Amino acid sequence: MALINVAAREIHCKIVYYGPGMCGKTTNLRYIHSQVPKEVKGDLLSIATETERTLFFDFLPLDLGKVRGFQTRFHLYTVPGQVLYERTRVAVLNGADGVVFVADSNKSKMQENVNSLKELAQNITRQNKRFAEFPIVMQYNKRDLPKEVLAPVQTMDHFLGVTRMHWPRVEAVATVGTGVFETLRAISRAVISKL
Amino acid sequence: MDPQLTSIIVPTEELRHIEECLVRLVEDTGSDYALLLDKSGQVISSQGDGDRQDITALGALIAGVFASSREVAKLLRERDFRASFQQGVRENIFIALIEEQWILCIIFNKGTHIGLVKVLTKKATDELASVLERVRQQHKARDEVLGSSFRTSMEDTIDLLFRD
Repeated sequence: MALINVAAREIHCKIVYYGPGMCGKTTNLRYIHSQVPKEVKGDLLSIATETERTLFFDFLPLDLGKVRGFQTRFHLYTVPGQVLYERTRVAVLNGADGVVFVADSNKSKMQENVNSLKELAQNITRQNKRFAEFPIVMQYNKRDLPKEVLAPVQTMDHFLGVTRMHWPRVEAVATVGTGVFETLRAISRAVISKL
Repeated sequence: MDPQLTSIIVPTEELRHIEECLVRLVEDTGSDYALLLDKSGQVISSQGDGDRQDITALGALIAGVFASSREVAKLLRERDFRASFQQGVRENIFIALIEEQWILCIIFNKGTHIGLVKVLTKKATDELASVLERVRQQHKARDEVLGSSFRTSMEDTIDLLFRD
């Protein structure tokens, strides 16, 4: 649910990066933080364990400046991917306007992707939102994996129901930034269209 | 209305009510400052001497703490934790929920008694709850605020700022 402050002429939107553990959600945010102009970004805030696994969330505020007189801000969050933190994900997802689902392209991670997506659907529905209409962009990350372990895009589409749900889908290598901004553009557009 | 398509729009006059309410709360309790947040962590208004640059991060973290405590409540089969208190060496934070949608947060030091903060916060949350109720009923204003030209400009801005 976006917040529109007419008096202060501000619009705030919340975008959450969701997906199984180690799929690259924090890497997406780090890359965005490293690339956007200084005047656009705030500090990247990470609540992580000593081993740099996300414990609660990462948070990156982006200030898009004035659009038709409205100061527009996007707040990007990641959830902790590990199965253990299911309830934490529910907490971070609270009030989200759109979700980027980061799927791991490793063949062996397909079941984890599917489980995480199912959980996302449940959590969105619990917020009294219709999952089928909720703005979601699918990112297939780690497309640079060796061929032996790389899941074909069609296989992932099939397992994750991407074609059926008509979600925009982006192939990415978040460590080097490939597809990161394409994903951000896609989710931003999807969120704006629902405002 | 489809909850998917609803945005909370705070009109000018309601924001003034909110600001007055927060200013009064800060003055009457002698607190450092008060914040009103949306449950998604966005700051609706902040009043007091907290001219802090990190207020955006503060909003995100406090909303996170609150959302997290809500999940704890569910595990304990408690309906909700309506308020929470965090005690520091110098500063304390008292947080109260307004109708599952907004979070009122008061930051105060040793000079202010927690009892006073609790009582006056209760009064302020009642007042803010009626503001929220009015804001929710004014949804029709959205199309006046966000026309199709806004969305087009927004998309242009997105393409410009988020390029590879």
